[in-house]
Amino acid sequence: MKRRASFEGSSLTEQNTRRMRLQANAMLNASPFDPTPLAKFILNLKQKPANIDQNDLMAVLEVIFTNLLKRESLEPQALQWDSLYTETWSLLLERIGSSSQVETQMALKVCMSLIKGEAESPVVEGDWPIGKLKSILEILINGPERTIVLKEFGKYTKCLDVLNLAIKFALELAPTGDYQHDTIKAMNYLSLVNQLDLGKAVLSAQKYHVDTNKSHRSFTYEKARKKLNKIWRGIFASSNGIDEDLHRMVLVVLLERILPHMEDPIGVTDFLMNSLHEYDGPIALLALQGIFVLMQKQNITYPDVYEKLYQMFHARVFTNKYKSRLFYLADIFLTSTHLPENLVAAFVKRLARLALKSPPKDAVIMIRFICNLLLRHTGLQKLIRGDPLAEQVTDPYNEKEKDPVKTEALNSSLWELHFLQKNAIPEVANAATFINNPLPIMEFDLGPLLDVEDSRIFDDLLKSKAKQYMLSYENTKTLALAKNDTVTKHFDLV
Amino acid sequence: MGAKNKKANSDAVYAKKTVKSTNPFDNATAQSAKRQNPFDVHVNKEKFKIMGRICKHDRGMPGVARSKALQKRTQTLGQQFAVKHKTNKFKDNRIGRHLSGDQLTESVMNARYLAEKMSQVRTTQKAQKFNLNDDELLTHRGQTLEEIEQYRDERSDDEELDDEALDADFTSAAHFGGDENETSPQDRQAAIDEMIAEQKRRKNEIDKEKNEVYDLTEKLDANYKLLLPLVAKATKDEQEAKPPADAYDKLLKEMIFEPRGSVTDKLINPAELAKQEAERLERLENERLRRMRAEGEDDEAENAKPKHRSADDLDDGYFVAGGEEDDDTLAYDLEGNLGTHLASKAEAKEDSGDEAEEEDGEEEESEDDSEESEAENYSDLNESEAESETEQPSKKKPKKERPQATTTLDASIPFTIKMPKTYEDFTELLSSHAALQQATIVERIIKCNDPKLDGVNREHVVKLYCFLLQYIKDLFEDASEQDIRGNFQLLSHLMPHLQSLTQLNPERMSSALLDVLKEKFGEYQKNPKTYPTLDTLIYFKLVSNVYSTSDFRHPVATPTYVFMEHILSRARVRTRQDIAMGLFVVAIALEFGSQSKRFLPSVFNFLEGILYISIAKRDADKLEVAPPFELDGPFSKLLAIAATPESKSLEQQKLQAADLVNHTLTLDFKVRALDTTLCLIPEALQLVGEHTGACYLASPFLPLLARLRLKPYPEHVQQHHREATQLVQQLAEQQMKPVALAERKPKALRLLEPRFETVYDDKRRPKMSKEKEERAKLLHKIKREKKGAIREIRRDTAFVQELKLKQQLQSDKERHEKVKRIYQEASMQQGELNELARSKKRKK
Repeated sequence: MKRRASFEGSSLTEQNTRRMRLQANAMLNASPFDPTPLAKFILNLKQKPANIDQNDLMAVLEVIFTNLLKRESLEPQALQWDSLYTETWSLLLERIGSSSQVETQMALKVCMSLIKGEAESPVVEGDWPIGKLKSILEILINGPERTIVLKEFGKYTKCLDVLNLAIKFALELAPTGDYQHDTIKAMNYLSLVNQLDLGKAVLSAQKYHVDTNKSHRSFTYEKARKKLNKIWRGIFASSNGIDEDLHRMVLVVLLERILPHMEDPIGVTDFLMNSLHEYDGPIALLALQGIFVLMQKQNITYPDVYEKLYQMFHARVFTNKYKSRLFYLADIFLTSTHLPENLVAAFVKRLARLALKSPPKDAVIMIRFICNLLLRHTGLQKLIRGDPLAEQVTDPYNEKEKDPVKTEALNSSLWELHFLQKNAIPEVANAATFINNPLPIMEFDLGPLLDVEDSRIFDDLLKSKAKQYMLSYENTKTLALAKNDTVTKHFDLV
Repeated sequence: MGAKNKKANSDAVYAKKTVKSTNPFDNATAQSAKRQNPFDVHVNKEKFKIMGRICKHDRGMPGVARSKALQKRTQTLGQQFAVKHKTNKFKDNRIGRHLSGDQLTESVMNARYLAEKMSQVRTTQKAQKFNLNDDELLTHRGQTLEEIEQYRDERSDDEELDDEALDADFTSAAHFGGDENETSPQDRQAAIDEMIAEQKRRKNEIDKEKNEVYDLTEKLDANYKLLLPLVAKATKDEQEAKPPADAYDKLLKEMIFEPRGSVTDKLINPAELAKQEAERLERLENERLRRMRAEGEDDEAENAKPKHRSADDLDDGYFVAGGEEDDDTLAYDLEGNLGTHLASKAEAKEDSGDEAEEEDGEEEESEDDSEESEAENYSDLNESEAESETEQPSKKKPKKERPQATTTLDASIPFTIKMPKTYEDFTELLSSHAALQQATIVERIIKCNDPKLDGVNREHVVKLYCFLLQYIKDLFEDASEQDIRGNFQLLSHLMPHLQSLTQLNPERMSSALLDVLKEKFGEYQKNPKTYPTLDTLIYFKLVSNVYSTSDFRHPVATPTYVFMEHILSRARVRTRQDIAMGLFVVAIALEFGSQSKRFLPSVFNFLEGILYISIAKRDADKLEVAPPFELDGPFSKLLAIAATPESKSLEQQKLQAADLVNHTLTLDFKVRALDTTLCLIPEALQLVGEHTGACYLASPFLPLLARLRLKPYPEHVQQHHREATQLVQQLAEQQMKPVALAERKPKALRLLEPRFETVYDDKRRPKMSKEKEERAKLLHKIKREKKGAIREIRRDTAFVQELKLKQQLQSDKERHEKVKRIYQEASMQQGELNELARSKKRKK
């Protein structure tokens, strides 16, 4: 019954939507312009009656105003709807500030297309409605957390004119004072900065939000870069004593958006070093990535990077959002064939140990990774090609040792992989069989494995159409199994 | 007279006289036969004999070769020369004119004859065309067929060979005067007369004998055809002349043709029955083990086979494997027979008479749907057998444990229940009854809708299965503490029916269950940090009961495994329900792996986590625990208890059904959960204990077990703790051999094509590529052929010149003769004229 009621309700709003569209068409087609229905729409927008879908209403308003703006450019008559327009704007801005995700996104979309329409019509003074963009950004930064809306805004920052202005305003709107006092605003601000992509793909696309207007195509990379650096200095100055989430965000922004365009990248080394030493988990990982970039581009040296990387591999890493980044980094760090064998052996052992305890997807990645390492460092193959006549030993590898060089890993053997063949998930068990055969010639490409979602294995299993469904031949009369019953042994259910 | 005696013997009528050839020259070749004249042979001397070289021109016969060539030329060039400048020529138009004597077969001759006949008909009068009485005689080698038949005498030829010459005795006596000792003859004349008479008499005798033999033979030939049917008839009569069958024989005959008693009638003693059952189970177990080891394990066996098979591979096993498992499903039926071709097997099975099975089969006879068409034919058969068995109570084994529902029949439940149309009807049908009756209802619905009875029922049972799944969901989704136990009881009663339903149509039921699991997984994925509802876990238990979970890869069990892994490694443990559910999933996962001895990492992580949260920590930094458990905070000490007399005195208790729905943590639950965990740890470790590397799973337990403060716990918990610690320690000290590649069989050498060396023939040739070499060879051949052709042409010309010369000489000679003759005639004429003139002169 509930469903039916909701269905009827939706049909009512649909009717309203249709009616609104008809009214809007009639109004636009009428020869003497009559703004009464428009005023009614705006009233609806203000009062939010339940039977009108706000998204549709906003869409209708968008259509009306873009048409009017166009028309105005042709016949500069009295601006009868000027006041209505400003009112709508304020309402839309308010709507951007609302808590509903869908409405906010819609409002943002309408606003941006109105900006476009306005810029293309000569009626308003000043060719690019800069002030309006600024007011949008202001609203976006202030208020509750808006990561998703800001992501939506990211679509518009792909256009160079919007990007240029956004950088300019980001500098102006930067929160004053330390971030720790207003974490939400800081978070929003960082999310905004995270959308300011000066990457090559954006620059070469040469997209503009407002096409007709040439005057604002004054975007130059040098200027934008200078401003971006200024933004970073602002962020850096106020990021004292921030909590972990913000710290992580700062690092993400730094790595993704700012570091490639930095004038003086070495300046952030200390910041990254501190992050690496003071934190574990994702922050340390991000810092490590930053250091890696610096090592690559700026040739800095960092003595115990391998030790740090080694310590990052622990059981908690699998709940980490950035674990594929870790695998990626480790793969790059361990690419060199000139690394000492005992160091790589320690990594191999550590990975194997983790694979024993990890979810299937990660286990497969680690097994493949181990295989790659064995291929790179042929000396390590003694870990899986031991002397069959050797005596039985307990594993000499010391798990607790923090320095990978001192773990005795090279004297060990990869019993873990042998054991992994007994994993219940066939994918893992099959991956681990590589030690029984001659090693492959080519390395595995880890890239596609890293992007796979965790639920992929389940979906894949269901996708493959089975021909046979083997049934148990032991008939049970109750809940308990005929033999090897565990559930009823430990549970008093019946 | 020996010869004569021999002749008299009638047995030797057809015997042949052996003719011994004594001539020593019999085998010698005739003087005129082809024989090599040593002077004709020309020998080409070889300086060195080279091994392996075949020399074709070591000896030749120039004379013979020349004459052959000449003959050939006369036949070809000579003929052409003869007919040169001639406008008419002879044309051979006979059929098969190119054929030589041997090749002229009968058919060709017949064709020629026919063609000849036709041409005759065409040329002569047309009226003869239809003349059937054409009495032209056919001949063979000049004789008409009649003539041949007349003179044919197929008799043996020995008579004619009888020598007319005088025999040795006579000649020795007559020609050489005989022996001295012999009685002296009266005189020579008398002796000769006697001899003549004797000779005549002998001739007469021979003639007579011949005639007799001839007559006899004729008679025999004439009578033979009359005799022939007589012989066959006699034997037939003998057969017929049999004594009439007596009563015993009749009875015997009857018994022979009487239908034999079926094997089912045979009494099988319990021992045999047990043996059969054991064999069946062993077979099924072997099947299961094979599937368990499937892919990952037996790479030995797999490596033995070549991995790649070419498309041209004719090893036929390839096709057989594909053909066998076309679209039949391999499944167990209710009796547990594994197979796809159950129709034939089922019959055999009935013969072998599994009474115990049949007995159970009374209510749950079923067969795979693959034999659907035949099932109807057998169904009545089965029923009659089942009836006959009830009449023979002596054979029955003591009944197995059987659900009470079938024995205590509730009178209020009708025996035939129609399949409810909708789920609402179904729940309505069940809701008014107690658990036992509900199970009975389900059982009766299954019986009334057995797919064997009607094809529509196939859909019905699938629908019923879906209803049951939905029913389970409704029962457990929002179960409260009060009704959870009742729900589990109902589930326990329904379990065998769910199992038998799945066996009815494994494919459809499994895909229905998979759909449900998929939906559940989707729901869970939306919020992976919380435990799913209880019904999801019940489905896991269903999978554990119904399917062969030990398979290496199983279409239902493996996704379930993955699902459980996700739950155990993601969902946060915060309430009593979470802990109980987690342990429930752990127990199910252990059931899954109980036979395959495979491990799920998150099971061990979870058990470690439960131990971890049972420890009252002060400094948490030393212990490690994997997610989803939290290192510190209130949830890291969820199960820790303080020492109170109350906790010390708790009785041993399993985890309760209510624990799965209740959220509040109580003291007794804390003790219970820890106790269960301590029991599950050794069980889990024992599963993997035999594998190399089990120490890696065991060793993380050690510090946790050591840190657990046992003081507040009752005695049984401490006991379990001791047992667990002992096993963990034992496993953690496992000694292992270094991983090495398994010994492989030495690889057989590849057999290669033999490589032929080039023969050294002492001729130096420039080194060339293969094509060039080939070309050079061909060019050389052309050159030689050209030379040969030129020589031949030269000789042809010489031959023709010779012919021309001969012709010239001949014509010259003829002309000369002519001239001579003319001169002669002219001189004669002149002579006559001169004579005439002289005579005139004389007259004057």
